[in-house]
Amino acid sequence: MENKYRLNIPRLNVLARDQLEQIHLSTLEVLRRTGVAVKEPKAVEILKKGGCYVKAERVRFPSNLVERALRNTPPRIGMCDRSGQPAMFLEENNVYFGTGSDTPNVVDPYTGKRRTSVLKDIENVSRVVDFLDEISFVMCSGIASDVNPKISDVYHFEAMVNHTEKPIVFTAWNLENLKTIISLAEAVAGGEEKLKNSPFVALYTEPISPLTLAEESTQKLMFMAEKSLPVVFTPAVITGATGPVTLAGGLIQGNAEILAGYVLANLINEGAPFIYGGGVTSMDMATSTLCYASAEFMLATSALTDLARYYRLPMFSFAGCSDSNTYDQQASLEGALWTLLSSLNGGNLVHDVGYINNGLTTSFEQLVVSNDVIGLVRRICSGIEVNEETMTLDLIDEIGPGGEYLTSDHTLRHFKENWYPELISRVPYDRWEKEDKKDLGTKARDRAKYILENHTPQPLEKKLKAELRKIAESRDR
Amino acid sequence: MEILEEIAAEIEKGDPASVPALTEKALSQDISAQDILNKGLVAGMDTISERFKKGEIFIPEVLIAAKAMKAGMEIIKPLLAESKVEAKGKVVIGTVKGDLHDIGKNIVAMLLEGSGYEVIDLGNDVPKEKFLEQVEKERANVLGMSALLTTTMTYMREVIESLEKAGLKQKVKVIIGGAPLTYSFAEQIKADGYAPDAASAVDLVKDLLNQ
Ligand code: B12
Repeated sequence: MENKYRLNIPRLNVLARDQLEQIHLSTLEVLRRTGVAVKEPKAVEILKKGGCYVKAERVRFPSNLVERALRNTPPRIGMCDRSGQPAMFLEENNVYFGTGSDTPNVVDPYTGKRRTSVLKDIENVSRVVDFLDEISFVMCSGIASDVNPKISDVYHFEAMVNHTEKPIVFTAWNLENLKTIISLAEAVAGGEEKLKNSPFVALYTEPISPLTLAEESTQKLMFMAEKSLPVVFTPAVITGATGPVTLAGGLIQGNAEILAGYVLANLINEGAPFIYGGGVTSMDMATSTLCYASAEFMLATSALTDLARYYRLPMFSFAGCSDSNTYDQQASLEGALWTLLSSLNGGNLVHDVGYINNGLTTSFEQLVVSNDVIGLVRRICSGIEVNEETMTLDLIDEIGPGGEYLTSDHTLRHFKENWYPELISRVPYDRWEKEDKKDLGTKARDRAKYILENHTPQPLEKKLKAELRKIAESRDR
Repeated sequence: MEILEEIAAEIEKGDPASVPALTEKALSQDISAQDILNKGLVAGMDTISERFKKGEIFIPEVLIAAKAMKAGMEIIKPLLAESKVEAKGKVVIGTVKGDLHDIGKNIVAMLLEGSGYEVIDLGNDVPKEKFLEQVEKERANVLGMSALLTTTMTYMREVIESLEKAGLKQKVKVIIGGAPLTYSFAEQIKADGYAPDAASAVDLVKDLLNQ
């Protein structure tokens, strides 16, 4: 696997060691004193047997139980591509980017207008992801409004797996649908064992803040743990609404929710491939919109990444997303700030690239521009090589004061190591004026259209494709 | 009348602790419950809603004012009932079955309450039977439903159809809201109204009940 995914500069911390300890110990305190409501009786039973104190659905966790479970964290979760080849090692300081899921709207790349998303959009996003070098995994982005809504999640999965070879992070409406999706994935991988050994899928599910493990999402978590398949368990603590307004309190509550899920998964299957992350964001108290790009959200995500590192769990993080209602300057600046910060922090599975309108709309422009931004940020994160060849003391001496480096062999040897953008422009003014005078948004839309018109992902084998259709169809009642 | 202005001012300040005592004081000055309601409590909240709409104050400040208003309401409620003053209206509200998103619904419920409506909040994951039962039992003027999921918004249609079957549809105004919804969806499922945010939800209820 290429080294380019690795953070080669010192990782950015936002929590000092002592603050991490305080947040960790306070989390244990919340789990012990307040506990969590668990709405799935089977989970309550497992937690009780595992040593939790249970009173009806309220489950309280002894601290040593949590500490013991945390000794089993999987330091690396490997995810493969559709063909079973290793594609992502989710571990300390490896950063991979992907799209988000389930936006009711999409900006049509041809008309430029926002409209309800349809299945075709999910196929199209998958194709664009398949093409883009810096995007490593796919989430469905839109939510298809033109299929049976009861099993739209199954359609989403089928659309993704048919249109990209890259790993898939998916959502499922309930346990039944999850089972169907996993049977699709197993068919693709060539069986249950093969999927387990070389998983190319991970489920996204979540606790309900404050401090609740809901029935369906817990069933889904348990199923993935039993199957030993990767599962992301990520809360949405909205500070001041579903959690304390101060970030430390929000982090503690969110951490307690994640760890409650982790302990459960670990009791079911020691060392289950559990992905930490979230989801501690703020609400704009003037408009009551939930922010996808507030300073507090970015800061809290960095803090959660610090906690993930502390526990040696992979981190599900955010980037390339925006609150702007359209693809514009705001969208690209918010997307870029996220991308930089999540990279400097070393988040692992970094999602929501392409979100605008606070998670309600998918933008192809935002996605392709983010691909450029990620490239740029990766260059920053690759750091500076310091050795004889790069320090060039002899060369400096040879050329000396007043010389030039343009014609030196050394420049020729190394200048290609600099990073070059695809969409970001550096052409001189006169040429830009003469050629096309296009701004970034226009170029982004052109680029998206170009990919859609020219890129054909490796298709699934015909027989397999038909088999998937049959499995999905059998559920379409 | 000074005391009524004082009540309104305390509500604007958002002090739930002082409003009950002031309400008692107003009653002891022989001011009618209805005047306390309209010229004190509601007047205070009207200013608050105006300032919220202008962006001068924020949700938590509105909600604390609503709490203050409710504290005063508790005291005059029995008197209003006695003197047969028509309450402003009763709203039954909930997030529909299968949906656990409740933040938006809660804000709408609290703002309605703050505007003087009686609100019965059924929580989230509410099945149609429960909506029907409560609408009937409470003789609600308005039924509010919230949904944030494409998979659950269609359930609103089922609720409205059941209301029709039970002969309740004419008796109650149905309003809906939630991020993926639209005016045209409301029309499609024969809801009486849709509002994209909490402040317009209050205006919507006002309009529907004034018709
Ligand atoms: C917070 C959140 C959650 C939290 C909810 C916590 C809670 N207690 O509510 C959690 C993490 C639990 C969650 C879970 C899920 N979520 Co969610 N969630 C959100 C998020 C990020 C914000 C919602 C919010 O609270 N906004 C703030 C409030 C104040 O705004 P609001 O709800 O829109 O309400 C305002 C108006 O709509 C209106 N209004 C609301 N209700 C009413 C009612 C009436 C009568 C009226 C008049 C007006 C009105 O007034 C309100 C105030 O101004 C949205 C994204 C988004 N930007 O909306 C996704 C989102 C809604 N979720 C989504 C999804 C897919 C899910 C899950 C299915 C994910 C999964 N696969 O597990 C689960 C479903 C769980 C379930 N069964 O319900 C999708 C929905 C896509 C779709 N259309 O179907 C969204 C859009 C995000 C996305 N792109 O993926 N989610």
